[in-house]
Amino acid sequence: MADTSKNVDPVTLEVVRNASRALAEEMNATLVRTSYSPNIKERRDCSCAVFDSNGEMCSQAETMPVHLGAMPFSVRSALERFPPSTLDPGDAILVNDPFHGGAHLPDLTLVTPVFLDGDDARDETPIGFTANRAHHADVGGTRAGSVAADSTEIYQEGLRLPPVKLYEGGTLVEDVMEIILANVRTPDERRGDLRAQQAANETGRNRMQALAKRYGPETFETAVAAIQTYAERRMRHELEALPDGTYEFADQLDDDGQGAKDVMIRAAVTIDGDSVTVDFAGSAPQTPSAINAVFAVTASATYYAIRCLTDPDIPLNAGAYRPIEISAPAGTVVNAEPPAAVVGGNLEVSQRVTDVILGALAPVVPERAVAAGQGTMNNVTLGGTDPRDGTPYTFYETQGGGFGASASGDGMDGVHVHMSNTLNTPAEVLQTAYPLSVERYEYRPDTGGAGTHRGGLGLRRDIKIRNHKATCSLIGERRRHHPYGIQGGQPGARGSDHLSRDGTERVLDAKSSQTLEPGDVLSIRTPGGGGYGDPAERPRSNIERDIELEKISLEMAREVYGYELED
Amino acid sequence: MTPSPTPWRLGVDVGGTFTDVVTVSDGAIDVTKTPSSPQDPSRAVLRGIEEAQVETTGDTPYTALETVAHGTTVATNAVLERDWADTALITTEGFRDVLEIGRQARPTMYDLSTSKPDPIISRDRRFEVTERLDERGTVETPLAVESVEAVADALETTDVDSIAIALLFSFENDDHERQVKTVLEGAGIDASFSLSCDVHPEIREYERTLLTALNAALKPRVDTYIGNLEAGLDSLGITAQLQIMQSNGGILEATQVREQPVRTLLSGPAAGVQAAAHIAASHGFDTALTMDMGGTSCDVSLVREGTPVRATDLEIGEYPIALPMISIHTIGAGGGSIGWIDDGGALRVGPRSAGAMPGPICYGRGGTEPTVSDAHAILGRLDPDSFETGERDVTQTHIEGLVADKLAEPLEMDVEAAAAGMLEVANASMERALRVMSVERGYDPRSFALVAFGGAGPLHATALAESLEIPTVLVPHSAGVLSALGLLVTDRITEQSTSMVRRLEEIDPTDIEARFERFERESREKLGADVDPERFSFERALDLRYVGQSFDLTIELPDEPLTPALLERIVERFHAEHERRYGHAAPEESLEVVTLRTRTREGIDPPALTDRTGESGAADAVTDERPVQFEDASHETPVYDRTALAADVTVSGPGIFEGAGSTTVLRPGQTARVESDGTLIIEVNE
Repeated sequence: MADTSKNVDPVTLEVVRNASRALAEEMNATLVRTSYSPNIKERRDCSCAVFDSNGEMCSQAETMPVHLGAMPFSVRSALERFPPSTLDPGDAILVNDPFHGGAHLPDLTLVTPVFLDGDDARDETPIGFTANRAHHADVGGTRAGSVAADSTEIYQEGLRLPPVKLYEGGTLVEDVMEIILANVRTPDERRGDLRAQQAANETGRNRMQALAKRYGPETFETAVAAIQTYAERRMRHELEALPDGTYEFADQLDDDGQGAKDVMIRAAVTIDGDSVTVDFAGSAPQTPSAINAVFAVTASATYYAIRCLTDPDIPLNAGAYRPIEISAPAGTVVNAEPPAAVVGGNLEVSQRVTDVILGALAPVVPERAVAAGQGTMNNVTLGGTDPRDGTPYTFYETQGGGFGASASGDGMDGVHVHMSNTLNTPAEVLQTAYPLSVERYEYRPDTGGAGTHRGGLGLRRDIKIRNHKATCSLIGERRRHHPYGIQGGQPGARGSDHLSRDGTERVLDAKSSQTLEPGDVLSIRTPGGGGYGDPAERPRSNIERDIELEKISLEMAREVYGYELED
Repeated sequence: MTPSPTPWRLGVDVGGTFTDVVTVSDGAIDVTKTPSSPQDPSRAVLRGIEEAQVETTGDTPYTALETVAHGTTVATNAVLERDWADTALITTEGFRDVLEIGRQARPTMYDLSTSKPDPIISRDRRFEVTERLDERGTVETPLAVESVEAVADALETTDVDSIAIALLFSFENDDHERQVKTVLEGAGIDASFSLSCDVHPEIREYERTLLTALNAALKPRVDTYIGNLEAGLDSLGITAQLQIMQSNGGILEATQVREQPVRTLLSGPAAGVQAAAHIAASHGFDTALTMDMGGTSCDVSLVREGTPVRATDLEIGEYPIALPMISIHTIGAGGGSIGWIDDGGALRVGPRSAGAMPGPICYGRGGTEPTVSDAHAILGRLDPDSFETGERDVTQTHIEGLVADKLAEPLEMDVEAAAAGMLEVANASMERALRVMSVERGYDPRSFALVAFGGAGPLHATALAESLEIPTVLVPHSAGVLSALGLLVTDRITEQSTSMVRRLEEIDPTDIEARFERFERESREKLGADVDPERFSFERALDLRYVGQSFDLTIELPDEPLTPALLERIVERFHAEHERRYGHAAPEESLEVVTLRTRTREGIDPPALTDRTGESGAADAVTDERPVQFEDASHETPVYDRTALAADVTVSGPGIFEGAGSTTVLRPGQTARVESDGTLIIEVNE
C-alpha cells in the first residue's frame, strides 16, 4: 500500500476531486465551442487535462480513449525542454513530435503553466499546468489529411514540432505560428484551432488559480496530491484482488500495408500483489510503413485496457497509473524509433495492443473480460471534385463493427470499439455535402462470434460515387485474422472491402488506394466481435430470438449452435 | 339577472408522489395536493380537480372554468420504463438498421459491459420498401407498390397497432411516405400512423427516424390517457378544452398533442422552469439560473431574456430527442440522496436515493441510510418533527446514531462534521451542474439570479449562490408546487420546421417567404380560428451554417417579409452570433440554410400573483429558535413561519423559513425581503 499519510479530510478530497474534473471538462467545453474544424467541433477528437506542480496528471475530461494515457508524456517532454522554474505567466508550449511526447503528428498538444498570482507572478514557480490535445485535420506531409498508410518515414507524415513556445508572456510567438501555417494545407483552420486550444488552457488557468486561492495554496497542493493517492489506493485495491501470476497473450495485425504479413504483438502481464507489469518483449520489429506505435500510444492503450478491467469510477489521474509498469523494447512496432512513420499507430496498432492485454487478462477476470471486438477503425478517405459545383472535397470516416461478448451479455452490434468512439456521418448529411450516397447501412448477419453470449455484429456500409471520378484510400484490419472469442466462445467474422463496377464485384486490399469511376459502389464490411463461453450453453430462446431478428441465419444456427427446429 | 360566476383557471401537475392542483380565481391562488395514482394518473387528476373545486373555489361552477392546463408524465414514464405499443417501422431499402445503429458510438467508454439502449422497434418489426429520393427530393427510384404490399402481408401476422414511416429525404418530398400509408390502409392495415415528414421534417435520418418511432410507440398509450381524461372532465361538466404542456414551454390543445406525444416528454419539468422564469421576470430578473431539487434529483435550467433557453440535443432515457425542448440538466442529487464511503475512503453522496419509500431516516418510514435530508436535520435546518408523513416518531438522537454508524465513525469525524460534509459534497455536484448551464455556455453567473424551488432547492440555493458569486436568490412562494403554477403562466405555442439545405446564393427569398406563410397559416388553424388576432405572434428563424461545417446556428428573424435586403442583414447577424458564441467568424465564407422554423404563439394573460403574504412583522412570525450549524459555528437561529410574514418585511440571516412545501435556509450575512407575491428575495454577496 502506498503512503497515504497526507492529511486531507474525506470531504475536501471529494470536493476538490469534483472541482478538478469540472475544470478539465470546462476546458473541453471551451475547446469544442471555440474550435474551427469539424474534426474537433463535431467528432470531438480532442482531450483536456490538469496537472500538478510536478507535472503529474490530476484529472482529465473523458473524451478520446487514445489520448487517455498519452498526454502526460507531452507535459513531461515540455517540462524537460522548459524546466518549470524558467516559465513565466502567459507562456504556452506546443508539441506534436511523437518522439518527444507526442502520439502522431496530427495531434497537437498545448501545455500552459499556472501561477498562483496570475500575471504578476514573475518570481513564482507554477502551481500546476493545464494541457489539451486536438487532432488537426492537416499537418502537411504527402497526403491531404496527413493520414497516409504508405509513408515509410516520419518526414513524409507532416510538420514535426518538438516542444516550442507558441506563447511567451501572453504574446503569440509569430515566427512559430508562421512556420506552422506555411507547412499545412489549411492554414486558416489551423490558426483557428490553435487559438481555441489557447482559449481552453486559459479557461483552465483562471479556474485553477481561483481554486488554489479558495482553498489556499498549501491545502490545494495537498488535496491535489491526495486525489492522486486516492486513485492509486483504489487502483491498488482493485489489482490486489486479482490473482498473482504472469499471463501471456499474442495477436497480430494482418499486414503492414507494404507487403509484409502478420505483424505480431505479444504481451506478458504480471500481477504482483497490488501492481501490474506489462512487458511487450517478443513483439515484431517496427515496420517500414505507418503501422507503428510510439511508446506513448502503447502506454495509452495499456492504461485503457487496465482501466476497463478495474472499477470505471476510479478517477483518471497519475495516481491510477502508478501501479502500472510498462516495458516495450525499443525498435518494435509498439515502441518505434525515429525515423519511423507512425500515423497508423493511434488508429490500428493501439487497437491490437488493447486486444492483447484484454486477451491476457481474460482468464484472470472472466467476469469482467470481453472477447475481441472488431479491432480496427476501418478508415475510409474519398476525394475528388464535386460535379455539382466544381469544388474539390475530401471525405474521411471510420466505421463501427462488432463489440466482443462478455460475461454480462452479447457484444454490442455496430459500434466503435475500444480506442475510438467517434460518430458516424448521417447518410443524408453525407449525400448533401458530397457527391456520394450511402446505398446500404446495416448489420451483417452471421458475423458475431458464437458463444453463450454472442459477439456483436459487424456493419455493412455501401457508398456510391455519383457522377465523378474519385480517389479512395483504405486502412482496415481484421481482414485476415479473426477477432478472438474467450471462455470457449468462437471468433467473430473477418471484415472485407468490395468494389462493384458495372455489375461485377471484386475484393479490395484493406490497406490500399484506387481510383473509382462514376457509379462505382464501395462496400465496407466490418468485422464482428468474438463470442463468450461455450456456444452449446446459449439458451435456445436467445438463438431463436436471433433467428427471428435475422441476426443469425437458420443455417448458421444449425452449424454453430447445433440448433434444430422443433416439430 | 343572477350575477355570472367568477371565472377561474386551473393547472394540474402530476408528480411521482403527489398530484398538485393550482387554481386561480379572482386573483387568489390556491393549491390542493392529492396522492398520485400511478396506475391511471387521470384518476388523481380528476379527484384533485373535484377537491380543488370544492375546497378552494367555494364550489364555483365548472362552467366558469376557463382553462384546464395539464403537465403529464405519461409519455416520459413510458419511455423510462420502455413500456409502449407494439410498433412497426418502415424505411428505405438498406436502412432498417439505422434506428439501432444510431451514431455508432457506445454509451460509456470504459465499461466493457455497457449496452446500447433497446431499439424502440425491434429488427423483426422493421421493414423496407423500394424507393429512393435524392438530396433535393427528386425521385431516383419510384416507390414500388408491391414492396409496400409485401409489408402489409407481413404485418397481417403481427399484433402491431402503431406504425412509423421514415424514408430518406422525406423532409424534401413527403410523397413516398404518404403513399406508403395510403397503400397500407388500402390493404386493410388498421393502425395508427406516424410519418417522419409530420413528426420532424429535418435532416439527419437517425434522429428523425428515432423521433418518429418514439412517437408511434407512445401514441396509443397517450391517446388512451387523454381520452380517459377528457371523458372524465366531460362527466364533471367541464367545457373548457384540455390543454397539455409541451417540452418546448408552451401549452397546446390535447387534440393536437395526441398526434405528437413525443412533444410532451418534458411536460412537467418544463412547466416548473416556465413558472420560475415568470417569477424572476416579474421581479426584474431577465437572466436567471433555476434549480428544481426534489427527492432524487436536481434539474438546472438557464433563463435568458425572460425565456427558458431551449436545446435540441437533450436525451430522455438514453434516446436523443432532436426537438426543441427547454434545456434541463439533471443530476442525481436530491433530498433523498444517500451518503456513502467508497473503497478509496472518500465521502460520496448519490446518485442512489432512498426515494419516497422508505425515504430518509427523518421521514420515520423505516429508512436507515443517511440522506441529504438527514444531514439537514442533524444541522438544525430541517425539523424532523415537521414530517407528518412518518408512522413512527424519529428523534434527533436516532438520526444521529445512524449517521454516526454509517458515516461519521468510519470516517473518524464527529456527526456534525459528517453531516456538513454530506452537504458540501452534494453542493459540489450541484455547483458543477450550475456551471455547466452557465459558464460552459459562455455566460457569467455573477450577474444572474438563482431561482430555487422543489422541496429541497431552497435548502441549498443560498450556499450555492455564495460559491458561484450569484448576488440574488429568489424563492417563490409556492416553491413546492411551482410546476402546476407554471401551467397557468404559459402561452399556447405550436412549432413547425423543415430542412431545406441550400446555399444562400441559390435561394429565392420569395420561396422561403411562401413556406413561412404556409406554416403560419397552418399554425393559426392549429391554435384555433376563434383566437383574437391581437394575441397571435409569429416567430421565424433560420438555421444557418458555413458551407462545409455542420454546426448550425438558429438566427431569429424580424417580423417582416423575407426580402434580399433582409437576407443580407440575417447574414450579418449570423457572423456576429458566430463570433459571440464561438469566438470567431469568417465573413468571407459562404453560408447555407439548413432548416426553416416558425413558432406561433397565442399570448396568455398570466394571473396576477399578488397579495400572497401574511400580516406579521419578523419578530411575530418567529415560531421557534434552534441552534443551526453553519460551517464551523453553531448559531441560535430563529425559525419563521413564512406564510405569516407581511410584504416588505426584511430579515437578516441566519434564519430558517418554513412553509409552503419547502424550507429555506438564510445564511449568516445574507438578508431576505418578502415581496407582495410571497417570493423571498435574498441578497447574497454584500
